[in-house]
Amino acid sequence: MGLERLRKVRASFVADLAAAGSDPDAVEKLRVAYAGRKSGLLQDLTAALRGLPNEAKRDYGQALNELKKFVENGLKQAKDRAAASAGSSAVGRVDVTLPGRALPRGAEHPVHLVRRRIEEIFLRMGYDVESGPEIEDDWHNFEALNIPPDHPARDDQDTFYVGSNLLRTHTSPVQARVMERRQPPIRIVVPGRVYRRDSDLRHSPMFHQLEGLVVDEGITVGNLKATLETFLHSLFSDDVQVRLRPGYFPFTEPSAEVDISCIFCDMKGCGVCSGSGWIEILGSGMVDPRVFEAVGIDPERYTGFAFGLGLDRVAMLQYGIPDLRQLFAGDQRLTRQFE
Amino acid sequence: MNFDAAWLMDLLDGAPGADEMTDKLTACGFLVELREEGDGGEIWDVEVTTNRPDAMNHRGLAREAALAAGATLKPFEFELDESDEPSSDLATVEIDDPTMCTRFCARVIRGVAAASSPEWMQRRLANSGVRPISAIVDVTNYVLLELGQPLHAYDLAKVGGAKLIARRAVAGESLATLDGETRKLEPGMPVIADAYDVVGLAGIMGGADSEIGDDTVDVLLEAANFDALSIRRAARKLGMHTEASHRFERGADPELPPLAIDYAAALIAEFTGGTVCRGRIDVRPRPWEPHELTTTASKVSSFMGLEIPLARLVEIAEGLDLAPRAEGDTIICSVPSYRVDLEREADLIEEFVRHVGFDVIPAKLPVLATAPGRRNPNWELVDRARSAAVNSGLAEVMTWSFIDPASDAEVESLPLCPGTAVELDNPLASTQATMRRSLLPGLLSAVRDNLNQGERSVAVFEQGRVFWLADDAPAEGERLAAALVGSAPGEHRAVDFADLKGVVEGMADELGFPPLKWRRGGGPWLDEAQGAVIETDGGRIVGCAGRVASAVTTRWEIKAPVFAAELDLAAAAREIPLPKFVELPRYPAVTADMTIEHPMDLSFAELHVAVHDLAGDLVEAIDLQNRFSGKGLPSGAVRSTLRLTYRAADRSLTQNEVNEQQEALREGLSQRLGVTFA
Repeated sequence: MGLERLRKVRASFVADLAAAGSDPDAVEKLRVAYAGRKSGLLQDLTAALRGLPNEAKRDYGQALNELKKFVENGLKQAKDRAAASAGSSAVGRVDVTLPGRALPRGAEHPVHLVRRRIEEIFLRMGYDVESGPEIEDDWHNFEALNIPPDHPARDDQDTFYVGSNLLRTHTSPVQARVMERRQPPIRIVVPGRVYRRDSDLRHSPMFHQLEGLVVDEGITVGNLKATLETFLHSLFSDDVQVRLRPGYFPFTEPSAEVDISCIFCDMKGCGVCSGSGWIEILGSGMVDPRVFEAVGIDPERYTGFAFGLGLDRVAMLQYGIPDLRQLFAGDQRLTRQFE
Repeated sequence: MNFDAAWLMDLLDGAPGADEMTDKLTACGFLVELREEGDGGEIWDVEVTTNRPDAMNHRGLAREAALAAGATLKPFEFELDESDEPSSDLATVEIDDPTMCTRFCARVIRGVAAASSPEWMQRRLANSGVRPISAIVDVTNYVLLELGQPLHAYDLAKVGGAKLIARRAVAGESLATLDGETRKLEPGMPVIADAYDVVGLAGIMGGADSEIGDDTVDVLLEAANFDALSIRRAARKLGMHTEASHRFERGADPELPPLAIDYAAALIAEFTGGTVCRGRIDVRPRPWEPHELTTTASKVSSFMGLEIPLARLVEIAEGLDLAPRAEGDTIICSVPSYRVDLEREADLIEEFVRHVGFDVIPAKLPVLATAPGRRNPNWELVDRARSAAVNSGLAEVMTWSFIDPASDAEVESLPLCPGTAVELDNPLASTQATMRRSLLPGLLSAVRDNLNQGERSVAVFEQGRVFWLADDAPAEGERLAAALVGSAPGEHRAVDFADLKGVVEGMADELGFPPLKWRRGGGPWLDEAQGAVIETDGGRIVGCAGRVASAVTTRWEIKAPVFAAELDLAAAAREIPLPKFVELPRYPAVTADMTIEHPMDLSFAELHVAVHDLAGDLVEAIDLQNRFSGKGLPSGAVRSTLRLTYRAADRSLTQNEVNEQQEALREGLSQRLGVTFA
């Protein structure tokens, strides 16, 4: 009988405690009601001990003590909570919806963001990242790459001249420099700034390329295809379709233009892919034996592949920047979008 | 190049539909870029690569299309009726210089009447992007578009001496060309002359004086083959680019002129009522000789990474009219005269790859050594520089490598100017004619443009190369430049020199520059009062920083003060060594302030050196707490409050010990610098 009452009191205390929350007044009322000296419930329960038969007193007493401790504990925690909330509400209450104070942050140019992402993909595949001069000689920019003087391909790469030298029209001269320096196996990528004497909506006289080169024994067209697919899947997405179609570059034979399925319209045809469903993204091919001969690598023993793409163009595609020239306008608002 | 789709299909038997045909053409290297509705059919804009002049005409492209799509190229047939009068009685042809002209065919068509070409021909011409003019001119264009042979028709009556000579121009010659221009010719340019004068630019454009007109009665027709390089050089020098020069420059078929001229003569006779005179004049100093190319199926297979049976190679070669012979594993091909691109084995292998198709070749990653990739130290350096600038809160910009020579000239006075400027021979604009020797002019332009966009705070950097001539050879160096303008980021005050110095010191530190000294300088580019040259202990100048002189900012039309700096990355460490752990202090530090009153002329650097020298080993750090001048101080005097941090490695210091140290330091400073203490 007595134990049953203790259980009920415990249950009602739990409920009342929850209801009181951290309101100091409610907690105080709770204390008076349960642990008050004069008329607290615990007092009543203690008084009831006397009226019990002796054999029941021991169990009841033990249970009562536990209940007292439980109530004491509960009240203490409630009081601490109430005190804590009272303390903070008094001074320094913060409107947490106010804006934070930002530390100044810098930002990288989107073309470099793209460059570093692509470098990272190739570094993981074991490629070295190479670099070379922007003012080049005719040999490395043209002749070593099977573009002799008066070759029609020179028309496609309108060149800025600096006396007997020129501003490199592509990153390919670095290929030639590396091959002159070092025998295969070679696997490199070469990012860098290049120049062509051309300026309109789609062309800038200064832009950025990334070039890749692999030379070893037994390198095949299938190797080229797999490398480009792996790279383009890493750069864009595994869902992207990759298409190689025959093209022409003087320094590779056979050459392939590489298209990806349009990432904007899912190949339904849109303005970016000119309705074709494909976006031209890379030029590539198997290194022409004449290039090997020019740089002193045995074309009977080695084969290789090369590829190149425009970093600015990838940045424009990936970030949706419509105008190439915006990249070189020095506008910090553009860069700060990429913080 | 535009092709009339119906015309193309008309040359084939068993051609598939347009969709399949355009796909097949694209797959074998002739990208159909655009399909649009023309007159009576589609127009296809096909990208024919520069090495394939043989496919820059309908029949040539149809040859590729036939092989790619499993169709058959129809045989080329026409009928030619000739009169009894021999052509050679009416005109003569001479090749004066066989290095520029390898073959010269001519025919005479007599009694032509002015006429238009038939409607079907006009439609095909128009769809191919050529404007119909008259029957004779249209036929020459039509034969060019069908077979690829450029032709020229002369009014025979206007050809002096009824003679055509292929020769090089001599000094003082000029020609009024068909486009209405009069062109001065340089000696050596390939021309066609009559007995007296130049009548045409060989392989480029005819002359106005011998042009076909409504009154033309007798036509002298030319179909020749010219040396690609000679035509190319002349066309470039003259700034001309025509349908004819486009093909000759890339290499025309030396065996085509006889066929093309007969075909053209037959069509002209048909449309104008003229008669073709008997016989073809055909001058060829050296006959064309076929050559053979050889490869093996095993080589082609291992190159592609796909087993290709010899029979498949033979099938492809037959489709390309290469007359293949198989011997064991070897295939021997005879190169037709129109395939000027097939010179070597590699060229032959390309044909097989093209027609087997990239889509068929299985993708297989190469097996390469498992060495990790390494970045060239220069990339490591510039990316560290860029990262240091980004960590300082700056936004990266890219500006042009070539700048206005006038802006570049001002850079001469910068302490970092590396040497003589590199000038472009053929700049796009006079304002982009010099390679930059400093990043600062470009950065100032960027600052101006940002301010003009309404930006209140500009904090930008550029990392890039500068260029100069060292002993007449071009040289390049990597630089890092920064500019701060307007309100300090996130603060309600304007940026000042200390903001810039903080940024520069932070970047130099991250880049592993050697210990640097700042001394006043950098004028006249930098403000005399707030400019500094940054150098190493050895006196090597590695940068400059400060407020840009108002004379300079005014020229850039910037009103706000600009704080800018440039660092030469050649002075940065190529590698940053791993930091070494220093045992953490076990005992607490004691700080004590010291307020020193001294003349303004005593630089902080000098004061700092003196304190550093005189302070005992227990001083761990010397920091500037406060600097005050003005009210309550004599003019020219400054109060600098330094906070000294004392610590002993083996015990807790007592206040007494610190007080003694401070007292000793005060005495030392007073003796050495004559300063007083507040």
